[in-house]
Amino acid sequence: MPLDLFAAAPAGGLDNFLQYCVQGLLFGALFALIALGYTMVYGIIELINFAHGDLFMLGTFMGLTVLSALGISVSTAAAANTGLTVLAVFLMLLIVPTFCAGLNWSVDRVIYKPLRNAPRLAPLVSAIGVSFVFMNFGLFWNGAIYEDDRPVPAASPRAFPDLVPLRNLLPEDAGMRFTTKDVMVVAITLPIMIALTLFVKRTSLGKAMRATAQHPTAARLMGINVDRVIGATFLIGGALGGVGSVMYALYINTTSYQAGFQMGLYAFTAAVLGGIGNIPGAVLGGLVIGLVRSLGSVYVGETWNSALIFAILILILVFRPSGLLGARTREKV
Amino acid sequence: MKTILQRVPWLWMMFVLAVAYPILPGLDKEVFEITGQPVGRVIATIFISAILALGLNVVVGNAGLLHLGIGAFFGFGAYLTGIIMVREYPFQREIAPVAAFFLCVAVSTIGSALLAVILSGPVLRLRGDYFALVTLGFGEVVRFTLRNLEEVTAGTKGLKPIPSPWTMDVDFAWNYRGYYFLTLTFLTIVILLLRNLERSAIGRAWVALREDELAAASMGLNVARLKLGAIALGAGLAGLAGCLFAYVLRNTSDPDQYGFNISIMTLCCLILGGVGNRTGVIVGVVLVFGFDNLLSPIMDSYLQRQLFAVADPAGDVRVFGGRIGNTGSPYLNFSGWRLAVFGLALIFVMRFRPSGLIPARRGSTKES
Amino acid sequence: MNSMRSIRRPLAVSGFILVAVCLTIGCNRGGERRSRGATTETSGKTDTPVATKPIQPTPSGGDPKVIKICSSLPRTGSAKAQTDAIVNGIRMAFDEAGNKVGDFTIKYEDLDDATAADGKWTAERETANANKAMQDPDAMVYIGPYNSGAAAVSMPILNEGRLLMISPACTGVGLTKKGGEPGEPQKYRPTGTLNFTRVVPADDIQGPVGAEFAKSIGVKTIYILDDNEVYGKGLANLFREVAEELGMKVVGKQESIDYKQSDFRTLMARIKNEHKPDAIYFGGTSQTGAGQIAKDMVAEGLGETTLIVPDGCFEAAFIQAAGANIFKTLKCYVTFGGLPPEKLDGKGKEFVDRYKAKFKTMPEGYAVYGYEAGLIAIEAIKRANKKDRVAITDACLAIRDFDKGALGKWSFDANGDTTASTLSVMKVENGDFAFVKLFSRQK
Repeated sequence: MPLDLFAAAPAGGLDNFLQYCVQGLLFGALFALIALGYTMVYGIIELINFAHGDLFMLGTFMGLTVLSALGISVSTAAAANTGLTVLAVFLMLLIVPTFCAGLNWSVDRVIYKPLRNAPRLAPLVSAIGVSFVFMNFGLFWNGAIYEDDRPVPAASPRAFPDLVPLRNLLPEDAGMRFTTKDVMVVAITLPIMIALTLFVKRTSLGKAMRATAQHPTAARLMGINVDRVIGATFLIGGALGGVGSVMYALYINTTSYQAGFQMGLYAFTAAVLGGIGNIPGAVLGGLVIGLVRSLGSVYVGETWNSALIFAILILILVFRPSGLLGARTREKV
Repeated sequence: MKTILQRVPWLWMMFVLAVAYPILPGLDKEVFEITGQPVGRVIATIFISAILALGLNVVVGNAGLLHLGIGAFFGFGAYLTGIIMVREYPFQREIAPVAAFFLCVAVSTIGSALLAVILSGPVLRLRGDYFALVTLGFGEVVRFTLRNLEEVTAGTKGLKPIPSPWTMDVDFAWNYRGYYFLTLTFLTIVILLLRNLERSAIGRAWVALREDELAAASMGLNVARLKLGAIALGAGLAGLAGCLFAYVLRNTSDPDQYGFNISIMTLCCLILGGVGNRTGVIVGVVLVFGFDNLLSPIMDSYLQRQLFAVADPAGDVRVFGGRIGNTGSPYLNFSGWRLAVFGLALIFVMRFRPSGLIPARRGSTKES
Repeated sequence: MNSMRSIRRPLAVSGFILVAVCLTIGCNRGGERRSRGATTETSGKTDTPVATKPIQPTPSGGDPKVIKICSSLPRTGSAKAQTDAIVNGIRMAFDEAGNKVGDFTIKYEDLDDATAADGKWTAERETANANKAMQDPDAMVYIGPYNSGAAAVSMPILNEGRLLMISPACTGVGLTKKGGEPGEPQKYRPTGTLNFTRVVPADDIQGPVGAEFAKSIGVKTIYILDDNEVYGKGLANLFREVAEELGMKVVGKQESIDYKQSDFRTLMARIKNEHKPDAIYFGGTSQTGAGQIAKDMVAEGLGETTLIVPDGCFEAAFIQAAGANIFKTLKCYVTFGGLPPEKLDGKGKEFVDRYKAKFKTMPEGYAVYGYEAGLIAIEAIKRANKKDRVAITDACLAIRDFDKGALGKWSFDANGDTTASTLSVMKVENGDFAFVKLFSRQK
């Protein structure tokens, strides 16, 4: 029997290439939102915040709870009128990022802060611990409304109300689809990224952040309140993750207590790919990974997706050891 | 300066306990009566985990490289053993089980080490966390390759069954002592080997590398070679652990067993116990894997008995008249809380003993 | 330079020693073995029997009046709703017998073969459970496991003591008969004797029935997906074979998904663009992405394509994961190796009523199989009437025309399979499974 490694041979040709690219980039934008949380925290305190993916997961459950509070369930979502839909999305975008930011900030305060001068691996393992605790929360968190009397799934993936109606905005024979959901992702993600860039470039807190990232001690000597800056970083990173949760939940319409693992892994990869600590890098990394994921699925095969992403990551790092946009810095001596 | 924990001869105590456990007649049986768990068998898997963790310790503790993909080499070793031992492949037909076992040990160890050298060679120049991510990437690539190359690895089915290494006199499947002593012997050999290695020129070179790469390089040490040596040795030990694991489990399990999770858990053992300190690492392994494989199932069956004693026929559990849940609900059994308990333990240990429970005596692993 | 040499020497020496030791032992023992005859020289292709091991005696000790029955099911993770129902069924069977069989008191222990971190069964836990049961002098019956892959792990271990296994859910073909991988099922039976039985029909019935059903609703082109797991992939393969036999066009290559991915949008877009099949068959379970596949089909405009899934999706969790609304657009059929709870009649209906009264919820699809497995365990112990693993296993395998349970009258065949072969097809409607059609298939 010949070794049939790649289940799906490149069959489709380039007919729908554009559609797959758009799909990949849209999902990449979600990766980017989460990757920003990794990269900002890393840039400032050199901590790989393993709990960030699970923070994102808790965000999706918070979103589910918000919807339930508004009385929206999976079966009533489609019937919700436009006003309620807009209100629900708005409330989610308000509450979930606040929740994630607050949680991220408190975790930093309580758990990572006392370890600032500890050996480098100590906060890393603490972050792993936090990630386990978060995952356990997610396991217990129900969030959704179930109308029937069947047992509520304890750990299985659960549907997220399909709040944003799915409508193809292009004609069916256009060779690609672009739906209202896709518009939503672009309309919310893009402004946020622009705002973040402006914030880091223009505001004094943003400058303080960059200064702290470059040299904490020097920043402290210049009168920057480093602790405040770190706190702000966790807040912003958490909030971005929260926006990511809302987008993900509305786009994919599923969540589960394990959702944070895979997304977190990809987002972390995106952050490193772009050059960890580098904000535009994280966005670029996210988009690249989204693209690879989508095109890989089409031209290599669904089962090789993850392997392909990591293989490409390794290849890129071999040739650009500091990531795509990372500065080629020498190790501080 | 030694702390009290560092003064206790943990390694010797554990060794004596480990040897005494199967020798004392009827002890395992008594323990089974009390705990309801096949403790002797579980301890054998803990020995294997200890070999894996000691392998990782060479990379992380001795050479100071953060490695997040040790699971891949663990799995690679297990699969090499599987390929040699299952009947679908022609390799073991002519060889007696004992010889086949040693062949597996050799092939798994050397094979994993070679794989590590081939994979890590090109990325040695990456610094710190980039290297960590690349190792994570290798872990995933290897796992998916094992998963997808169905013609070779049987995909998610895993290769099975793997016969026991002895044929007649001692049947390992029947008596836990066989695997127990086998794994204990290997663990002891590994510990002695690493002890000698640490005191040798390479061991000292690794310390220099870990403390200051630049200084080490300027002293004329070949940094790349030292790193590669550590990675190869670590992966080789992981492969050895994988080989033993496949034997004890009697199959290669499925590739997901060797994913990111096991790499992270092993890293947790290291840091919990004390990076760079063999005794600490083993204490960490005993705590982490003991918690996962012994304490947790014991607690589960204990809680189950307690719950069913108080539950009503529909399975609702009431405390002082208030319904607190159903016997089936995840928060009324221990495994539902396992992640949180483990996570909190990690957080607390790091908070109060950031260098691990039994920190390495020599120098510090702090980076500037 | 010095350091290089110091690396090389110990490595080289230890490597050399290892190789030398292996070679010496290998040559010596190998020669010995060859001269002794070729008893173990078997390959997977020819099914010459393996040298069989003697059966391990039950460990001594324990309480002579207590018989322990363990079940090993994935109790944490996403299969939980289904295994809860199975455990409820098992408990019901024992409770109704007063937890007594003859003079023996039944003790039941519900073991978990999954971990929260993995969210599904692991070979390590399943092995530990099997070892635990083997070592327990009171353990006489092992109900489970739930996943066919897990059965392949625990069977060789439990077989050595001929500890009776009764699976309420494993449908993998190779566990009991030829038709799976080469070497099956002998390789799971080191003692050469049987100890595995199941109360559900195997996939060699379910896969074909799925294909027949697809044909009967007028499907002409079909795309086949699987979850790359033992159960799902095996079933998808069987489905494909029969689908091709029946003259349906299987489009594209059968493809496995990586179910840990968050979505399959691109895959669905590709299927739509390249094939636009009448139906998609997904060999997988609600834990391995079935819900997400349903959702993504609709999201990518494959709403008119029918989705056919096997009994691994016959649980509320599937509908809950996909969201009931999806099935207003998408037609989705589920094959199930038996009758849905609401279609059971006679004793089956009584069971459903009692279950509802006791647990205040409708039983999931497999609850009745848990119940049946529990009853079979009791029956086997009753027939053997002694606390002896081999006697109980033999008694169980000899059960014919069993009609005390909820599934009507059925027997164990020579492989330990049930002779019941009634399958049903359900449609997902209004957030529930609606019965569509009954299939009876003779083997």
